[in-house]
Amino acid sequence: MSIILKTEKLRVEYRSREIRQGTKVALHGLDLEVGTGEVFGFLGPNGAGKTTTMNVLLGFVPPTSGSAYLFGIDVRQPIARQRIGYLPELTYYYKFLNAEELLRFYAKIFGLPRAVADRRIAELLKLVELESAARRPIKSYSKGMQQRVGLAQALINDPDLLVLDEPTSGLDPLGRMKVREIIQRLKNEGKTVFFSSHELGEVESVCDRVAIIHQGQLKAIGRVAEITGTHANLEKAFLEIVGYQKEPAS
Amino acid sequence: MRNTIAVAGIVIKELYRRKDFYVLFIVTILICLVMASINIYNDANVVRYIKEVCLDLIWVCTLVVAVTTTARQIPAERENRTLLPLLAKPLTRVELILGKFLGCWLACGLALLCFYLFFGALAASREHHWFLTNYLQAGVMQWFMLGMVVALSLLGSLVFAAPSSNATICFVIIGGILFVGRHLDQEALQLAEPLRGLVLCLYFVLPHLEFYDLRDLVVQNWPPVAWEYIGLALLYAVFYQFIFLIGACLVFRRKAVN
Amino acid sequence: MVSPRPYWLLLVALLVACFGTAARLSPQFEGWRGSRATGDFFVVLLGDERKMFANTFYIKADEYYHSGYYPSIFDDNAAFRTAHMAEDTGAVDSKNHGDEHGFLGPERNWIDSFGRHFFPNRHTHLDEGGPGGDLGGSQEVREILPWLKLSADLDPENVQTYTVTAFWLRERMQNVKAADVMLHEGIRHCPDSYEIFFELGRLYYDSYQDHTRARNVWEHGVELWLRLDPATPRGRQPALELVDDWLSRPLKLVAEQKDNQLVMEQLTTHLAAMDTADGHWTRAIEWLRAGERVSLTPDRIQARIDELNSKLDQELHPLLKPLY
Repeated sequence: MSIILKTEKLRVEYRSREIRQGTKVALHGLDLEVGTGEVFGFLGPNGAGKTTTMNVLLGFVPPTSGSAYLFGIDVRQPIARQRIGYLPELTYYYKFLNAEELLRFYAKIFGLPRAVADRRIAELLKLVELESAARRPIKSYSKGMQQRVGLAQALINDPDLLVLDEPTSGLDPLGRMKVREIIQRLKNEGKTVFFSSHELGEVESVCDRVAIIHQGQLKAIGRVAEITGTHANLEKAFLEIVGYQKEPAS
Repeated sequence: MRNTIAVAGIVIKELYRRKDFYVLFIVTILICLVMASINIYNDANVVRYIKEVCLDLIWVCTLVVAVTTTARQIPAERENRTLLPLLAKPLTRVELILGKFLGCWLACGLALLCFYLFFGALAASREHHWFLTNYLQAGVMQWFMLGMVVALSLLGSLVFAAPSSNATICFVIIGGILFVGRHLDQEALQLAEPLRGLVLCLYFVLPHLEFYDLRDLVVQNWPPVAWEYIGLALLYAVFYQFIFLIGACLVFRRKAVN
Repeated sequence: MVSPRPYWLLLVALLVACFGTAARLSPQFEGWRGSRATGDFFVVLLGDERKMFANTFYIKADEYYHSGYYPSIFDDNAAFRTAHMAEDTGAVDSKNHGDEHGFLGPERNWIDSFGRHFFPNRHTHLDEGGPGGDLGGSQEVREILPWLKLSADLDPENVQTYTVTAFWLRERMQNVKAADVMLHEGIRHCPDSYEIFFELGRLYYDSYQDHTRARNVWEHGVELWLRLDPATPRGRQPALELVDDWLSRPLKLVAEQKDNQLVMEQLTTHLAAMDTADGHWTRAIEWLRAGERVSLTPDRIQARIDELNSKLDQELHPLLKPLY
């Protein structure tokens, strides 16, 4: 199994807005590897560094030190992003476009020929069940429809690696089930999925491996069963790993 | 280039799907038609005041379109988080900036074309003559001036947090240059050092947008400007567009997008 | 659920009360000093600031007269203190001096030099065809009329707006009727304006060939000018009597008379010309003497007086007529 995503001693520091606080370290030398065809869950409490890691992988933020690679290419090269799809959390797409135009725009950026783009757009709209709403402006879409169009744009170039940031955030149970089905389908097609989520039940059912990050440091990485260990479920294991202590009853 | 054109296409779509341009266009038409209906001592051939009113409105409206459209491009992408999926594609930040610039500039060009077609029709209805060369020169010069405005506004959108503050500052700068830019050197002589040196520096450094204002020549039916001077002015505009765009790219390179 | 009916009834009652109160108080409103109920639209909208706008549009008209080649507040405007469109009517004292062609001055640097290619850079007058240079009695001067009309609407007490507009309407646009209406409107707002009466006289004389009316209004103009001086006798004396009285006193002009000597010269010389044509040389000499007093070229007028005196002598003493 080849390594599709790799970070080596990845360190990211931000200059804090509070003058007295100096710099804030978001990631402390993160070492991570994700193999081809894996569904990889990236877990952690709020502010742990999950989004920062994704930002570095996608080239939004340069690392302070260390390196990150996608398909063996340094993430700072735009070509590294040719074969990935990205679904950010809570995105409101261009209100004045409809779903078809949005997908066509992203298809152009990937340089897809017109015929290929047309076919791909039709397939994706069917996959995310937006065929009937394809010509409506996105501003008229519900939250679930916006998330589905986001998923469609992430898949427009038939990516080998899909990076999803909280893909089920804000979705109803039906929507969440649909996303799980799509992830499973992608896995069956040999795609790699790297996603962060707070829905540990979903992670448990879908992921091959998970990593838990807390305060910028990798606390645990391995197969779901290994991480869960003797705990009843992944949630309890997670809470112990991040050092949660239950408040004593008064 | 492909990516730049794709981004530009989105900006142009935004222009003709938002209502701003249509409102401004219709207001311009209404005001001009009202002005044209005024009886000036039963003389139907009086035309220059209508031309002036129309051109003044065109200038105001296209400046508003240019500044407000450009000022909201990057902030809106950031606010709606569409910047993230965009930059996650094989699209560089430079391509994004150039695409936004090209889109806004072409959108201004389309708006200008609509306005000038109306202006030409209005003027010809009274003068029974089309001063095509004059109109072409005025339109092209104004378009290149708007290119500088768009580039400046784009740079401002990366420096200032809110589109409103960026737009306000741009309007103040543009208005100041158009009204007093030509005379800054004269005013500098009235001042004591070091203010004199500063104002003189400003005079030579600021883009002289007033070069591109050919309204008086069009309204008063002066002969067209010699094409070599038009060419030099366009080169001057391209130079400043470059400067502002390079500044925007440099600022955007270091900007956090989340 | 509460019925909305009482609220509707309350609303109707309030509306009735409002309208009734307004109707009851309306006569008192109209009687208030400073009431804007019957004011002109511009007065209501702008108040006294309308005069500032009126002046701006008046200057705009002169800018159009020059096809856009006009000094800004940063340029040397010494040659544009008096609007050229007014100066060219021949009835306005000029305060201009300096170079009207070169108010921009020499080119200061490459930016200034380059920038001059993109705006009007030559002194022209619209009555001479503007930049096109057509000297054949061009009617391009029509383009100043909208701004003059707007200026007159905003400041009905500005005399020059009426005289300048009427002159160009009559002289170049051959729109005598509109000029007549304009001048009468000017008289309505400025009943003591000798400038307007002079222009009205020119209209009667040149366009209607009505010499009687022309004489009447010109004489009335002379009266108005002379009565600026409090020393002029009050009463219903004819204009020539007032002139005689004025000529008998040492020359002492009040401020407004000093600023408007040209109009008086024009009035008197036109009356003199009319009397000369009618053979009333004594009257003509009286008018010319009055004109000479305020003229900047008294020698020219003196020459005409001498000529008329000589004719008068010949008439009185036929033997003095030349034999050949």
